Amino acid sequence: MNPLVIAAGWLVLGLVASAVLRRRTARLVAIVPLVGAGLTFLAARSSTAAVPLGGLSAITGLDRAGQGVLIAAALSMVLVILLQPSIDPALGRSIGVVGAAATVAMSSSNPLVTGLVLSAAVATLVLRWIAQCPGRVTLAAGRVAGAGTAAIVAASPLLPLTGFTTGDRPVVVAALLATGVAALLAVYPLGGWAAGVIRTLRPIEIAPWMILLVPVVLIIAERIPGGVLGTGTPVFEHVLLVVGLGSAVWGGIWAVRGPDTMRYGRVFMADIALCVAAVERASVSPAITGALVILVTHLTLAPILLRSRGSELVWPRRAAWALLSGVPPSPAFWGRLLLLEALAAGNVGSTIAAVIAIGAIFIAAVLACAPRPRPVRTPAVPERRARPRPVKMPALPERLSNLAAWLLVALGIAIGLAPQSLAGFVFGH
Amino acid sequence: MGVSAPLLSIAGVIAAVVAIMVDGRRAVAIAAVLLAAGLAPSAATFGGAPGVAVLAGCAVAAVLLAWAGWLGGRILPWLSGLDPMIPAFAPPDRLFGPRSARAFGAAAAIPVASWVSFNVPVGQVTVSEGLLFPIAYAWVCGVVRLLVARTVEDLAVGVAMIGIATGTAWLLRSGTDSFGGAVLACTVAPLAAFLAGWLNGRSSRRARPLIEAEA
Repeated sequence: MNPLVIAAGWLVLGLVASAVLRRRTARLVAIVPLVGAGLTFLAARSSTAAVPLGGLSAITGLDRAGQGVLIAAALSMVLVILLQPSIDPALGRSIGVVGAAATVAMSSSNPLVTGLVLSAAVATLVLRWIAQCPGRVTLAAGRVAGAGTAAIVAASPLLPLTGFTTGDRPVVVAALLATGVAALLAVYPLGGWAAGVIRTLRPIEIAPWMILLVPVVLIIAERIPGGVLGTGTPVFEHVLLVVGLGSAVWGGIWAVRGPDTMRYGRVFMADIALCVAAVERASVSPAITGALVILVTHLTLAPILLRSRGSELVWPRRAAWALLSGVPPSPAFWGRLLLLEALAAGNVGSTIAAVIAIGAIFIAAVLACAPRPRPVRTPAVPERRARPRPVKMPALPERLSNLAAWLLVALGIAIGLAPQSLAGFVFGH
Repeated sequence: MGVSAPLLSIAGVIAAVVAIMVDGRRAVAIAAVLLAAGLAPSAATFGGAPGVAVLAGCAVAAVLLAWAGWLGGRILPWLSGLDPMIPAFAPPDRLFGPRSARAFGAAAAIPVASWVSFNVPVGQVTVSEGLLFPIAYAWVCGVVRLLVARTVEDLAVGVAMIGIATGTAWLLRSGTDSFGGAVLACTVAPLAAFLAGWLNGRSSRRARPLIEAEA
């Protein structure tokens, strides 16, 4: 099946779901990513990986890793929707557009097509975020992420670099691509927008970016240095290594210091920044394997940890945080160990920065796991009584939610016991 | 007859400066038309008549789709949305406002575009000619407009500018796929115009009953 057909499936279903579904049937939005995963599973596999460094050519198709990441992300998105206490049916539009864009971006070897579809995904998300909560932070997402996709689009007329592997042209292309990747993955100094939207919006609103878009951009970023970037390759790698490590340390520290509601988002951003840094430092195993293990771990645990604050699933959440802590044999331990191994092969500075980031993430996970002290009972004051109660789901969905959450925790434990095998099962390597 | 690079640059620079400064409900369409007109001489030099046709088609499509979007937003009743003209946030009063920031960005874009045009070769254009200058300038102005945006309309104008500039750069590339790339990149501008028109149409439909109720 052609990737364009899969993308059309995502898009049409997303638009139809947002137009047809009502609040009572809103959870059926999960059909959009479920069908997307099914269509991707049926797609004919391409033998070559698509790297967006070529000229304007046909969509080459999905390779094994592309197919794996799209299916895993789509299934994770299904579970995120099913485990949310409440869903806005209009979210189907964003999920459909972002899923379609991720599919085309993963299968395109042309930077113009990749840049344009990523622009479409960012524009859809940003419009929804601004409509939900107009403000400086949501507009910043449009400014920075939009400028990032513009940088990828601007690199397209300069590619391929056949005959121009030296001089300023490869350096300019590498700088543009690094800017685009950093902005889309929300790596500092271009990552403030993501921290803002995580603080401002409900977790389900950010889920399409975290689950559908970030893994795809990370895989593309991993492939770019392998393409023909000439003298631009070191620029691309070193820029992303430095900003990735800095972002991982910053994200880890703020995961410890920041409020509970932002903790998972900060840990996710720190882990992704660490993956970017390690992959660009040494774009061979073990860095790639470590990044893939981290990706699979987050795709497995995000449905539990992206629940709104005040909702149930206390114990599955604690178990999920334990699996993210990095204590062996949690899957995050193996992923971060492989990333650290790759970074340690470079220089001491990278290793120290990575150790600080990993330590901060560990502390943040421990803080999230720890039971909160019970509030001291005081006579009820009017303000406290007026506070909205946590959203409660009906009994049956709550039981099903618990079951699904514990199954995800079990899957996380299984990933920890056989990290490379399961990452290989999903991504093919 | 040789190409006068300064003349091409002046046309492109004037168009880009107007596009970065324009405001209002028709800003995206105005920016698209002016930028297409300003970059048309550059497109004609390397893309010939088809190159000019791409930019002309882009400008016409932007105007038509902006109008169609506005009409659609007014007619279709089942959706509510945001007004693209209302700033998403209100910064404190300052000596220099958002348009001053844009003007500063437009001035700062000149050396950037100049460096790009004299150091980065594209297709058949050699670095000594400096013919990439108006395109690079328009692209940088588009990014500046994005980065200092305060409204959804600003974002749409920035995206349209970047699309048209990138499309013209594809024409300069002069390969077998340059025409297709230019068309693909230029489609961004009409789509941005449609989106802005759609949001404008919806907000104007919502504003009228409010005004009548207040009267």
